[in-house]
Amino acid sequence: MEPMSLSVATEPAPGLSEETTTATDTARIVPWNLVVWNDPVNLMSYVSYVFQSYFGYSEAKADALMMQVHTEGRSIVSHGSKETVERQAVAMHNFGLWATVERAGEDG
Amino acid sequence: MAEPFTYGRRGISGRFEDAERELLRGLFRDVVALLEPDETPEEDPLAALVGISPEATEPEDPALLRLLPNASKDDAEEAREFRRLTERSLRESKAGALRAASLGLESRDVLLDAAGAEHWATALTDVRLVLAERLGIHSEEDAEKIHGVTDWSDVGDDDVDAYLALVYNFVTWLQTTLVDAMLAGYRAGGARGTGPGEGSRGSR
Repeated sequence: MEPMSLSVATEPAPGLSEETTTATDTARIVPWNLVVWNDPVNLMSYVSYVFQSYFGYSEAKADALMMQVHTEGRSIVSHGSKETVERQAVAMHNFGLWATVERAGEDG
Repeated sequence: MAEPFTYGRRGISGRFEDAERELLRGLFRDVVALLEPDETPEEDPLAALVGISPEATEPEDPALLRLLPNASKDDAEEAREFRRLTERSLRESKAGALRAASLGLESRDVLLDAAGAEHWATALTDVRLVLAERLGIHSEEDAEKIHGVTDWSDVGDDDVDAYLALVYNFVTWLQTTLVDAMLAGYRAGGARGTGPGEGSRGSR
């Protein structure tokens, strides 16, 4: 991660500050994953409905993620900031699906 | 026997016998009772007001834990913090959906808009999750075994598990027809276009 002070020490050339800001923002947003876990109770059609209606995924994408949950036991269905995936986890729990959040790269 | 939920011009409709309405209302009531937090008299009123539960811990009842699961698999402290901040609103949201579905059973004919259908879908899901835990459904094989129990005449007078299995299968059938109807409505343009993570049932 580029320390902020570095840009201060550099000659303030036009455009540089903008570039530095972008790099810093990207570094600050550590990506998190939302994982949905398989269970023997929830209907496959319901899980697909939730993925379509809540995340706005196409039926094909929702079905593919649902099948991954079903056959592999889990699937990363979304990623983003920690706040985002935590909010999504609560929504999944409200639907009755079991979801967890984890830092990206922790799986496998 | 109840009629399956169907999607039509006016929304999603269903129809129940009186005994089925009684059964479902009883199930909804039971799950609401399970979700009621243990009131602690010395509770901080401000914490209650802002919707956090500082003392929230992982439920000991596995059925309740399934309704209010941990949001972190490996990090217990992370899971606890998440629970403190979100568990109360999740309990209230689930109980709200169960009460809404129960109110809809005032009459034999049930007509649902998109929001009403989602209340029903989550209410039936929560009922099934609790029944599944009581029935010990922990694998696909367990679920298959339960699905095999279909005949009321097989149930002895005090065979509670067989009775629960039949109830579970009835609720499963009902939810299958409901979700099919919801998917039909969604395909027909009932999609409300909630963006990623911006669904109306978020953490609020």
